[in-house]
Amino acid sequence: MFVLCSFFVPNTAQAQTGGASTGTPATYTSRRTAGITDPNAPVIFEDVTDKTPLANFRHRSGEAAKDYIFETPSGGVAIFDYDADGRPDVYLVNGSTSAALRGKEKAPRAALYRNLGNWKFEDVTDKAGVANERWGFSVAVGDYNNDGRPDMFVGNFGVSRLYRNNGDGTFTDVAEKSGVARKGWSTGASWGDYDADGRLDLFVPGYVQIDLGNLPPNPTAAGKSGSVGQNFCQFRGVAVMCGPRGLPGEGDTLYHQKPDGTFEDVSIKAGVNDPEKYFGFSSAFVHVNDDKLLDLIVVNDSTPKQLYINKGDGTFEEIGYPSGVALNENGREQAGMGLAIGDYDNDGRIDFHITNFSDDSNVLYHNDGDDNFTDVTFQAGLGEVSIPFLGWGTSFLDFDNDGWLDLFVVNGHVYPAVDAHQWGTSYAQQALLFRNTKGKFERVGAPQGNALANAWPGRGLAVGDLDGDGRLDLVINNLDAKPAVLRNAGATTGHWLGLRLVGDVAKKVPRDAIGSVVYLTTGSVRQRQDVVSGAVFCSQNDMRLHFGLGAATKVDKLEIKWSNGSTESFDIPKVDTVITITQGKGH
Amino acid sequence: MKHSLKQFSLVLALLAVAVSVAAQDRPTILTGAELTRVIPTGFYFQGLSAPTQMRNAAAARFGTDRYVLSGLVDTSGYSADVRAKYVGFLITDSAITLNGEPLPAGAYGFGFATEGKLTVMDLAGKDLLSVPVTSDKELKRPRPLTMSADPGGVRLYNGKEYVVIAAK
Repeated sequence: MFVLCSFFVPNTAQAQTGGASTGTPATYTSRRTAGITDPNAPVIFEDVTDKTPLANFRHRSGEAAKDYIFETPSGGVAIFDYDADGRPDVYLVNGSTSAALRGKEKAPRAALYRNLGNWKFEDVTDKAGVANERWGFSVAVGDYNNDGRPDMFVGNFGVSRLYRNNGDGTFTDVAEKSGVARKGWSTGASWGDYDADGRLDLFVPGYVQIDLGNLPPNPTAAGKSGSVGQNFCQFRGVAVMCGPRGLPGEGDTLYHQKPDGTFEDVSIKAGVNDPEKYFGFSSAFVHVNDDKLLDLIVVNDSTPKQLYINKGDGTFEEIGYPSGVALNENGREQAGMGLAIGDYDNDGRIDFHITNFSDDSNVLYHNDGDDNFTDVTFQAGLGEVSIPFLGWGTSFLDFDNDGWLDLFVVNGHVYPAVDAHQWGTSYAQQALLFRNTKGKFERVGAPQGNALANAWPGRGLAVGDLDGDGRLDLVINNLDAKPAVLRNAGATTGHWLGLRLVGDVAKKVPRDAIGSVVYLTTGSVRQRQDVVSGAVFCSQNDMRLHFGLGAATKVDKLEIKWSNGSTESFDIPKVDTVITITQGKGH
Repeated sequence: MKHSLKQFSLVLALLAVAVSVAAQDRPTILTGAELTRVIPTGFYFQGLSAPTQMRNAAAARFGTDRYVLSGLVDTSGYSADVRAKYVGFLITDSAITLNGEPLPAGAYGFGFATEGKLTVMDLAGKDLLSVPVTSDKELKRPRPLTMSADPGGVRLYNGKEYVVIAAK
């Protein structure tokens, strides 16, 4: 049972709250997105941020007033093992400020933390050379040059970077040299080998076109003498930042990697350039159907989502509308932000969970096969509870190792003004954890003082087993704040298996195996997990796959469908450990 | 026999004329270039102008030269599930009916002031007409705004809900 800090009473009688955009939203006498605790809830995650040097990281993105849209959605976070020591490390993207862009103040810096084990981390940003010092939004990890060392694409508002991992603890920005120094506003990118040549390609969504010399009206100036009219830039009758609707959107970019390791822009040729210029936020290459070709999903803010089916000839067919993914079940466009990818009902097909704006529910699309999806949000138990929240990073994860993918969602509003009104929502918001019981989700309560009871202005999220104890941990990148490092302290008894896949480049499978799929069977349960770059929200989960096995102490069958479509089966000698499997060789 | 044949021919001719007239009156849903040619890229309402969501715009032609246009506009920054008083425009160059209620030629705003009803407003935001919407639970893959044929005219859909527009 959840305990509300104070009564909340929806009041729709105050129907017209002013402003042409508002309509008839409910008002409330308390927040529903912060301070919701349950004294009987179990402790699942412990906030250990302050015990780590990650507490010294301060994200910054513009000014507190949030007058402009580019100040609100940063930034991503990655969990990946950059130094191949077996311990996943953490990279936190930082934003910037207008003053920094003009050279008037020092630019905020991204940070790389090397995992030393036992919850000790070392800030290696300077040594690694990955501070970015541009207005950062996203990070996507992929070993684009197949040298066994994971590289990073960092999507910026401005010129993006490709950090090549040199293998000696340092990185070099090779974006210009490689042809991926994308300009504009780059958001949640994804690596994937769409043409099955063994080399990773790169997709980068574009969000909004912003001209810093001709900014839209801003709420701070609203109503002042000489200010530009606020037009429709209102939320419930209150002046707020403008956009994304009403501002020009930005197209998307697909970079094809050539044999010499440089990239060419093939967006138009491939049919994924987004001529409608929707507001792109998240993307991922993933196998939507049973063929051998890697497909692509793009989550757009307040415009239809796009699902591109790979035709195998270097082009894609966009089937967002006919597939059911473009809109929700009522035919409404939603403010798509983050993207979780996983087979939540263990039927062998990949499903999507997408986060949205407040006064709206997040959405769960069940994959029915044959490129058809059904919005099952409310039937699955994920609808009503998410309505007051504004969701960002979302990821499926089996936090209790029971063999069913649970769900974690990071939240936080974009308008500081929400804290001055009784709209049932808040600027900082609690995260949401849902336990999956055979395809149905139930919110896990938050004990008072626990990590899940904390409210953050959350954005990026990454999942990985940071302490190697077989339980998945989390890192959240919070807007204008320190991050949150959440240690999984749940009393799980389930067994588990970690898998690191290594592809055979000679067989035209990327070395980091992005796009490969693992099917793991224990008893009557057959789980599926995919090696995915990107998704979540501008973030990167550890690409080592983590399977919860429940009470099973052995794996009955492990099949790998490599990204080129070839399949192999392997015997797994033991569980409760991480195993590396190399294509054609085993472990 | 000759007389009967003449009578039969006359009936056929009258039928053909009637079918032709009916075909002319049957509304045509516009698509492609025909649609983009008539839909305005923005709409003025209550002192503010907002861009049209061209992907969510529709138009029908009644007879040869009578048009009804509708489109959603960007009235808010982010999409949310709020039943907004003003979401789009309805433009008609001749008198029509909405679910049987008369609406003269003109340009209007529309939205959903109360649950289950579509409200049409003048450009100053004054309510002119409110009609109940019908829910089409069988509709697969609904869209934010579309038009489709109806025995009584055309259906203007917002998601799964619709009203029927007919020429007067």
